[in-house]
Amino acid sequence: MSVLEPRTKILIMLISGCLVILLDSPNALLACFLGSLSLIAFSRPTLRQIRLLLIFLFFTTWGLLYSQAIFYNEFPRTVLLTLVPAELPVIGEATGGIRIYREGLFHGIVQSLRFNTTLVIGFFIVWSTQPRDLLLALVRLRVPGTLAFMVTTALHFIPMIANETAAVIRSQRLRGFRYLRFNLRATIRGILNSFRPILAGNIRRATRLGESVESRGFSSDTVMHRTSLRTLKMGPWDFSLLALLSLCLIGICCLKILYFCYLNGIYYQSWLRGVYTFTREVL
Amino acid sequence: MVPIQIENLRFTYPSREAPTLQGISTHVAPGDFVLLTGPTGCGKSTLLRTMNGLIPHASAGTFSGSVRINRTAVASQPLAVTCRHVSLLFQNPEQQLFCTQVEDEIAFGLENLSLPPAEIEKRIDTALKQVGLPGFRTRRTRTLSGGEKQRVALAAICAMQPQVLLLDEPTSYLDSQATQDILNIVSQRNAEMGITVIWATHQIKEVAPLCNRVWLMHDGQLSLDLPKAEAFRDPTPYRRLGVQFPSEDVPELCYGTRSVPTTTTIVQPPYEDTERQIDVPAPRRSSPAGPLIHLRSLSFKYPNSDKAAVNSVSSMVTRGEVIAVMGANGSGKTTLLHLMAGLLRPAAGEIVIAGKTLKRAKLHQLAGKVGIVFQNADLVLQAETVRDEVEFGPKNLKLPPETRQKRVVDTLTLFALAAFAEETPYSLSRGQRQRVAVAANVSLHPDLLLLDEPTTGQDAQHLNLLMDELCNKIKRENKGLIFTTHNLQLTLKYADRVLLLRDGELVFDGTPDTGFTDVAL
Repeated sequence: MSVLEPRTKILIMLISGCLVILLDSPNALLACFLGSLSLIAFSRPTLRQIRLLLIFLFFTTWGLLYSQAIFYNEFPRTVLLTLVPAELPVIGEATGGIRIYREGLFHGIVQSLRFNTTLVIGFFIVWSTQPRDLLLALVRLRVPGTLAFMVTTALHFIPMIANETAAVIRSQRLRGFRYLRFNLRATIRGILNSFRPILAGNIRRATRLGESVESRGFSSDTVMHRTSLRTLKMGPWDFSLLALLSLCLIGICCLKILYFCYLNGIYYQSWLRGVYTFTREVL
Repeated sequence: MVPIQIENLRFTYPSREAPTLQGISTHVAPGDFVLLTGPTGCGKSTLLRTMNGLIPHASAGTFSGSVRINRTAVASQPLAVTCRHVSLLFQNPEQQLFCTQVEDEIAFGLENLSLPPAEIEKRIDTALKQVGLPGFRTRRTRTLSGGEKQRVALAAICAMQPQVLLLDEPTSYLDSQATQDILNIVSQRNAEMGITVIWATHQIKEVAPLCNRVWLMHDGQLSLDLPKAEAFRDPTPYRRLGVQFPSEDVPELCYGTRSVPTTTTIVQPPYEDTERQIDVPAPRRSSPAGPLIHLRSLSFKYPNSDKAAVNSVSSMVTRGEVIAVMGANGSGKTTLLHLMAGLLRPAAGEIVIAGKTLKRAKLHQLAGKVGIVFQNADLVLQAETVRDEVEFGPKNLKLPPETRQKRVVDTLTLFALAAFAEETPYSLSRGQRQRVAVAANVSLHPDLLLLDEPTTGQDAQHLNLLMDELCNKIKRENKGLIFTTHNLQLTLKYADRVLLLRDGELVFDGTPDTGFTDVAL
């Protein structure tokens, strides 16, 4: 969605970040998640990008569901499946049994929707914004120059890191190393070792890029006084979308505050009962 | 025009005990074209960085002495001020481009100079014309070839209208055509606009005709600082340091079907000062020389690309052969190498190594059959010590401890790495790191070793030492070596056969002395 200005994209991420924290209902969170997916759809991703996004979504969802379903420790909780009975010698006795809880699963869904919404918007920004536009937007949003440059550079490096990681892993495998094998210690060591060339390469690259931009007069002191070939200008789409999202955020904030006051006996009005119900059921 | 005055310049990096620059004093007159050369690690890049202010402003370390540009000490003024007069072009075009679009890249420096947008627009057009890329303004930088990227990087600094242009091995990643393009642009600016140029390089032959002064560096000092006419009278100082000398003829061909010396003088790398005479057995091809790798109508296309990176390439490599793969940037050399290593799957055709097709082989199953050293050899280095690195492969192959140990010791000795066995690979020089990466593959005794651009950033001494040892081993053990390069000299010296690629297609397959000329490139 190139019609959106980089500042709008950053603000969308910030507002969405607040929204997903405020919302508790899976339906409302699902709506947020679908909204973030629609942004991605408008940015016309390539098949490779879609595949990458799906991989990320799968692993974050699976990880959160799995961990929340097993380690949920609130009450009440309903056992859906027993993986390791408490009576099983050693593991069962030591852990008190490992079970999957329905409430944990539900909690995992809520958490994964929260996490995935911001993840998708992050991908949207990375895929649809040029680094220099992002730098310009961050500076215009009064983010300190050094921090703005760090963020921009980090995004600039993502595809390179992915390529280098693939090269390192292939090089290890071509020297007989197998990642998926029974020797867990060796596997972990192999994974940790693979970080070494990637990290060293990135430090070197970051140094070179830093030198390159500093040699061309860029510094944290000059960043605020830079002129710009391009100008950032918000259009009707930007204003409409930001107004809508801001309105949603303010509205939800107000409703949540009213509901909180009602729950804690601070403030209650009978004519607001519809609002309380809406907040409890929908938000 | 701007004169440069350097007085008793010393610099020591925080991690090192010995200073990298040791009391350099010299002077550069306005409009000079200085060729700066010397072995890897002698301090060329550091010297250039002191001239544009990156040292001491953006680099920790102990700095003393002075560099004065136009009578102002570089160390006393901010980088942002120095960059108005002095610009530095780096070695790797990939690592210095910040923006995704050509016009943005050129505008970046101009925006930092706070120029008005109208002036920026004008300078972008001018700079692109000067580097011969007038229609490239809105092109994405990732779609450019290596040579084009470097020209964009050059345009980006030329647009800032510096009076001193520093170039840090800017052509080491480029093919001969792209190198020539950069040389032409820089020499034109030097001749027509009087811009002072200091060009650090290992490729003396290309730059020597353009310069009027030569600096030869060794151990942080200028061991030679002379006008060109005097600098190239005696090759001794260059040969002693293992640096290319411009009037050297094409070296005697050492391998394959041509005459072969039975004894070779190998000059030790800089960490050992003495020369040694070692007996190098005459390379021999065992008979019969059976086929090692067979490429049959090999094709490959990258996703989101319109044209094939490798298109219907067929060839055969026999055991004991050393093959050079040559071609311009983007001609498909690296892709072909990656296909042979099994890192990429061909879209069509097949590869047969030692009688077995690669089609379904998993990468770890190819260990001991194929080894590859990337252009960025550091990607291979992942162990804590050099010994662990060399042992990594044999360990994965689960060889018995005695065999493993013998292989490690033999390989470390072969590549003169025994003295660094317990050091971390990243503490070594670039040339040494490349040797470790090669050794880490050789310890697996692969049938086929693939080297991607082994010349990048290496001086002649390191390179010859590595290639001598490697080619001898390959011949002796009847294995195969395939390397990609832009370096014709290297090909003529070591390759038995050349595969020349153009736009992914094999346009020449034969011995270097049969119809293979610069024109073909």
